[in-house]
Amino acid sequence: MADIDIVIEICGSAGEGTISAGEILSRHMSSLGFEIMSFDSYPSEIRGFGKCVAHSRISNQQILSPGKYTDILVVLNDSHSIPQLHAVRENGVVIYDSQPPAYHEEDKSIAGWMAPGMIAYGIPLHSLANKAAGSARGRNMVALGAMAALFGIDEEGFKTSIMKRYATKKQVVIDSNVNSFEEGYVWAKKNVQKLDHLTFSKVKLRKVTQNRIIINGNQAVAQAALDSGIKLFAGYPITPATKIMEIMGKELPKRGGIMLQTEDELSAIGNVIGAGFAGKRAMTATSGPGFTLMTEMTGLAVMAEVPAVVVNSQRGGPSTGLPTKTEQSDLSLVLAGGSGDSPRIVLAPSTVEECYESTCLAFYLAEKYQTLAVLLLDFFLSNSIRNIDEPSLPDKKMLSANISPSKTDLKDYRRFQLTESGISPRALPGTPLGMFVATGLEHNERGKPAYDSKTHLEMTEKRYRKLDGILKEVSPPTWDGPKANVDIGVISWGSTAASAHEAVLKARKVGVNAAFMSSMLLVPLNVDHFVKFSAACKTILVPELNYSGQFAAHLAQYLNRPIEKLNRITGLPMPSEDIFEKIMEIADTQKR
Amino acid sequence: MPKFDHYIIIGNGPAGNSAAEVLRMHDDQARVSIISDEGFPYYYRHMLCEFISGKKKEDALKVKPASDYKEKNIRMRLGQRVERIEPETKTLYLKHMEKVKFTRLILATGASPHVVPSLSRFEKHFSFMSKYSDALKVKPLLSPARKVAILGGDLVSLKFAKMLSAMKKEVTFFLYKDCFYPFELTADMASAIEKHFSGKKIKTFADIFPSRIESKGKAFEIETENGENLTVDIIFCFMGMRPNINFIQGSGIDTERGVLVDEHLKTNVSDIYACGDCAQIYNPELKNYWISVGWENAGIQGETAALNLLGESKVIKPSQKKILDVEGLKVNTSWWKEL
Repeated sequence: MADIDIVIEICGSAGEGTISAGEILSRHMSSLGFEIMSFDSYPSEIRGFGKCVAHSRISNQQILSPGKYTDILVVLNDSHSIPQLHAVRENGVVIYDSQPPAYHEEDKSIAGWMAPGMIAYGIPLHSLANKAAGSARGRNMVALGAMAALFGIDEEGFKTSIMKRYATKKQVVIDSNVNSFEEGYVWAKKNVQKLDHLTFSKVKLRKVTQNRIIINGNQAVAQAALDSGIKLFAGYPITPATKIMEIMGKELPKRGGIMLQTEDELSAIGNVIGAGFAGKRAMTATSGPGFTLMTEMTGLAVMAEVPAVVVNSQRGGPSTGLPTKTEQSDLSLVLAGGSGDSPRIVLAPSTVEECYESTCLAFYLAEKYQTLAVLLLDFFLSNSIRNIDEPSLPDKKMLSANISPSKTDLKDYRRFQLTESGISPRALPGTPLGMFVATGLEHNERGKPAYDSKTHLEMTEKRYRKLDGILKEVSPPTWDGPKANVDIGVISWGSTAASAHEAVLKARKVGVNAAFMSSMLLVPLNVDHFVKFSAACKTILVPELNYSGQFAAHLAQYLNRPIEKLNRITGLPMPSEDIFEKIMEIADTQKR
Repeated sequence: MPKFDHYIIIGNGPAGNSAAEVLRMHDDQARVSIISDEGFPYYYRHMLCEFISGKKKEDALKVKPASDYKEKNIRMRLGQRVERIEPETKTLYLKHMEKVKFTRLILATGASPHVVPSLSRFEKHFSFMSKYSDALKVKPLLSPARKVAILGGDLVSLKFAKMLSAMKKEVTFFLYKDCFYPFELTADMASAIEKHFSGKKIKTFADIFPSRIESKGKAFEIETENGENLTVDIIFCFMGMRPNINFIQGSGIDTERGVLVDEHLKTNVSDIYACGDCAQIYNPELKNYWISVGWENAGIQGETAALNLLGESKVIKPSQKKILDVEGLKVNTSWWKEL
């Protein structure tokens, strides 16, 4: 039995079924027991002729990053796919339409661009789809059928996955898709002589468990919010966060909640703070441009000590930037955006599993510590599809975190009472004797505006004291690798952390003395752990998806040492291969 | 019009590859493309026997790595079939519906297995060993096969029979001495072969041929002209080669058995050349056409065609005679077969 770890890309035009084909492939391979990590990229325009790529890494081993190089490129549109060839491995496979309806001029066909060493399989996608269903629309399914035949994927199981995908459609749609798949399968079996060595049929698989789910980052956030008892979602649509809003619109009303599409982002955060004030769990989701607007009001959540959860799924910036490309360039904004000293919680999940976990944590911490909690995702993580073990639901403690005033407290209720933990018992509106003034102005313990320096200092210190408690609530940063005398320490965050972890594991396999650290909790940062890690490492490398090295700069203030940076702003997720190369480069330099 | 010349070579064997190398060596600006309907990269055909026997791995067949083409900026279009040539517009029509323009063209399409007319009705039962794709088909069939028949009409068949015998297969060899390829088999040679095969326990029919071949389940039943019946698991046919020129028919390029070229390897159509196994070369001294065989000749012709395409006036000459060993007998041959 062999191992397999391959990347498949399906590339076509918007409307050609590219993303659907990728989704079906991923779901089917997951159902067989493979690990999958999928990532779709699509044009900013709602619909048209833009380029779509469904990228799937499939393995029987643990995978942490999407993979930089393509083993199999399925071409549904030649001109869009030609630029994808650069990522195809030297002996990679290209499946293309060998019988389009009309002649292409020279070099408009992908066949003319393949590099020496690539293996090309021409499949008459158009004509087979027409034969199967009387329309060329099904050529994505023909391509899937050919893939199944060529790479040893079970035919009947695959058909079942197609039927499941289109189960809500009319029978004619289901039949068209299944028939197109069948045509591709039979044709490839009969006519293609296999020249590559890729096959899924001889792979040893982990046992498929019943409660394994396929989910992307946005879905994980939405599910976690629902499981955490969200009652209001207010938002204004923006890529890549809109999907969260769509799920909320569908699911929240079923649970007695409200999804409110507001006129803008400022209104959205206002609604969330309002609901939080009323004691209801609430959330908004946006991207960099929307978060910029929200910073006008996020300070209110901090100052008035109201729970609020904000998701910022980053995309390329600044301004409207690159709506459908990934980047990690909102870090500085999220860490420090807004007026005044405004301590907040910032959680940056690095995997889909962590998207769920961190969302549950955000609701819990925001409620308990009565403040703003920001979840920092990115386009890649939002859209990254993984098959994961069904996450554990938040427990009672997580679901009911508000520290309510006791009867004694209510005898002389001080909503902003100075406490050692910084948490003041919070009375919800309507609580007898629990009336108070909530304001964005600096205030005293009763909420009455007070601008004297003593009050401002005491209240600021109180708000900052909450961070100590938060730090104790969250698991310390992940430290994988030796605890002393490390040659290269890699620190990363967000989605890049997963790629960095994979790169470090690979480097260790080839004998490099490397270690890895990342933290889901960015604010408050567990500085002690980072300082210890830094002290154990000869060189520190911080890879991230922004130009200036925002996290490296943030860390530098605590670590007080030179930091090697690896920055990418390609609009694509950080390849673990690039981090691995950088590690090897540093290792070479250290040897000299 | 293209900014630079586009030299296209159809064929990815020794002739095509040596032509591409020479073109790139002398013209670093032009686009150089090789188009081949075979999907596997340039490989040593003579090693296919060792490949199917498991003595050679796939990588050992490859003549050069893909990086070599990348470095030389030679574009490889593998697994692509040219279906039609339009010399007037200098356009190739590819099967996958792409039109490719050329400024000059070299035909180096090689040859395919030939089946003598008396056997053509049985062709569907035969396995061949002329291409990598043949070897891929044969490899899984050969392993479980116990009994093998060879219809032997060329030098490769002799080598192949010995290899199968060494693999402990029960081999029956039909020696087609009257249509042997690429030289005529004398009576002495035929008897030397029979003698040698007998020592290897290869049953040889020298003057008796199959009169009926039928499939029986996964096996094949052969009835010989003298009424003998035998059952085998696989039948190989080696009867020499025929130039691959079908797609050229109707293009205006003169063909006969192969593509007709002069001693400069030019066809009757300007800017189109042919070389290697597909070319039928005029020899002014003999006032007749010849077809060459052999890896080395193909390479020399590829070079010559390329140089002439670039403006030189090289004449192709038959290579020196070589002495071949046919089962202990020395054979003088130039590796050129008179038609």
